[in-house]
Amino acid sequence: MNDESTQQVYADATKAKGDAIIELEGVDKFFGDFQALKDINMAVGRQEVVVVIGPSGSGKSTLIRCINHLETHERGRIVVDGIELSEDIRNIQEVRRETGMVFQSFNLFPHLTVLDNVTLAPRQVRNMAKADAEELAMKQLTRVKIPEQARKYPGQLSGGQQQRVAIARALAMQPKVMLFDEPTSALDPEMIKEVLDVMVELAEGGMTMIVVTHEMSFARAVANRVVFMADGEIVEVGTPEHFFTNPEEDRTKLFLSQIL
Amino acid sequence: MTATTTPPLVKRLTGIGWVRSNLFPNVWSSILTILLLPVLLYSGYRAGLFLLVNAEWEAVERNLTLFMQGTFPRDQQWRLVAQLPLFALALGAGLGTASSSAQDRAIEAGLPHERTSPIGIVRRFWSVIGFVLVLLYFASTANPWFVVLGSVLAFLLGFQIRGLPARFRLYGWSLMSLLLVAGFQVVSGTTGRAWLVTAIVVGIGAWTLTGSERIVPGWRTWALKTGAVIVTSVLVFLLYSVITDPGVGWDKWSGLHLTLWVSALAIILSFPFGLIMALARRSGLPALRLLATTYIELIRGVPLIALLFMGQYVALFFLPAGSSLSSISRAIAVFTLFTAAYVAEIVRGGLQSLPPGQTEAGQALGLTPPSVIRLIVLPQALRAVIPAMVGQFISLFKDTSLLSILAIFEFFNVRSLVHGQPDFRVVAHAETLVFVAVGYWAVAFAMSRESQRLEGRLRVGAA
Repeated sequence: MNDESTQQVYADATKAKGDAIIELEGVDKFFGDFQALKDINMAVGRQEVVVVIGPSGSGKSTLIRCINHLETHERGRIVVDGIELSEDIRNIQEVRRETGMVFQSFNLFPHLTVLDNVTLAPRQVRNMAKADAEELAMKQLTRVKIPEQARKYPGQLSGGQQQRVAIARALAMQPKVMLFDEPTSALDPEMIKEVLDVMVELAEGGMTMIVVTHEMSFARAVANRVVFMADGEIVEVGTPEHFFTNPEEDRTKLFLSQIL
Repeated sequence: MTATTTPPLVKRLTGIGWVRSNLFPNVWSSILTILLLPVLLYSGYRAGLFLLVNAEWEAVERNLTLFMQGTFPRDQQWRLVAQLPLFALALGAGLGTASSSAQDRAIEAGLPHERTSPIGIVRRFWSVIGFVLVLLYFASTANPWFVVLGSVLAFLLGFQIRGLPARFRLYGWSLMSLLLVAGFQVVSGTTGRAWLVTAIVVGIGAWTLTGSERIVPGWRTWALKTGAVIVTSVLVFLLYSVITDPGVGWDKWSGLHLTLWVSALAIILSFPFGLIMALARRSGLPALRLLATTYIELIRGVPLIALLFMGQYVALFFLPAGSSLSSISRAIAVFTLFTAAYVAEIVRGGLQSLPPGQTEAGQALGLTPPSVIRLIVLPQALRAVIPAMVGQFISLFKDTSLLSILAIFEFFNVRSLVHGQPDFRVVAHAETLVFVAVGYWAVAFAMSRESQRLEGRLRVGAA
């Protein structure tokens, strides 16, 4: 980080640390006449943690939902681990197998037990035997510190516990990238920490992560880069210390003054 | 949760306190009570007087067999007698399996669960059991008592499956299906395509029971499963080419027996068909969507009675020449097609009630679109629509009485046979009506209660 040139290159959204696992080139996305993403160029390197911040409606969620094709982009290229997203369903499936996603509203399957929530995808998508899948699921549940809740239903758990199950469910597919879409926004304040703790451990373990969040403490502590978006555009990119202490753009300054 | 809590005090009212708070809490309620009470008491008195004192039940007593089996050939009656214990055994095995696996799941999830007991079952099905007791009360010989006793014993025997270790319970559902088929074919015979029905049931059983989780999955498992299905199908075919029992075809069935079969078959067949229509109506393919929408709207716009007549007369133009579908088969087809359209709309409501995040979560995990529908969308959507769907099935059950306009002597239309007899031409019309109404009510009420139970059970944990 002390290297001046690295710092310079690193503040550019299109350059990743090391070789890129996710690349976006000239991505445009429309909802009807409304342009949600405008010419997004971005790259994320392996084991990098990128935090995306910005006012609501700025296109942060749309951006990461495009990466696993929950939203379809109209123009540009999105490449995940060497696979370019196209309309081909097999391509999309392949990308989704490599990317885990955690939603703001958890989206656990309420009709399945915690264990079944976690084993569902490994068994269906990876064709794992039941016993193997359960062993893997228990490992992931231990990682998010709730192995004792395995036999319960999501409705019996607190919000923080549910979100940790959701993280375990995504991890059970052993993804190369994890996408977090405001994972703590629907949680009561006292539960935010338990979820953030799990995410910090995950980042320290070397997981590639893109995190949309309003938790600036998380961004400061864990992010390799912070991306600031407004009105569907990437306004500014930088390392956390650069970003929070010395922002260049007026929009960034305005936003930071409002939330800090 | 570990701390001891005192339950809230529930104020229990007795005697005058109850009367005051429930009947005379304020001026308006008091006026209503004073106006309604005499009306209720008087109609209750008249109903009791009719049912217990004045009614002449001879028309029912002498025609009890007719109400139950209608014009079914009397020399073949043993078939019906054999069918009942077989079904009781199947029902016992099914309920035993269901209750034990529900209990296992509840214990695993740490939820409270009430163990199903024979007394609990009496409480659940009290309306049907009450109707059976009414039938026994009217019986003039001891034979019905033996049949009922045999069936009760068979039920209790089947229910013992509950006590077996979990790995045996896997066989419970297969056993139940097999017994149901056996019960059906004891009456309908084993010739024609009967072997195919049995082969399908046995095949499904063989497919699910061979190569279970303990064996490493892979091509070996698939080969084993396919092999098991082929071998059992061939065995069934050979067996059925040896036993050739002509049986009594359902064009000769009637009475309550026919009513129950038509309802059961139409319910079982309309469910998957309606499900497919609901999914087709939401499909991404415009042609499929148009087809499903047209079908649903056409069927829902025509009265059932018109469809039933069409099934009898107009269908002749569409069927290939020389096809001889009995009018019962056609009626079952019409009931199925009719109910399927309504089931489709009910299921569509359930599909729409599901938050989009559920589908997205499934997609994000890499599940294929069919898997998302099968494993995530449908289980939740169907749970949400159980009450509406059972309501539709209760309607179907009662609507089978419309078969009487097609000169089919199902339960309701047996009355016209009874009142064709010289002794009852002008008397006892009210009595037979009450009897038939109670019969329908007993079954419909049990269906309604079971739906409520299922609803309550499935809501557990899905909050």
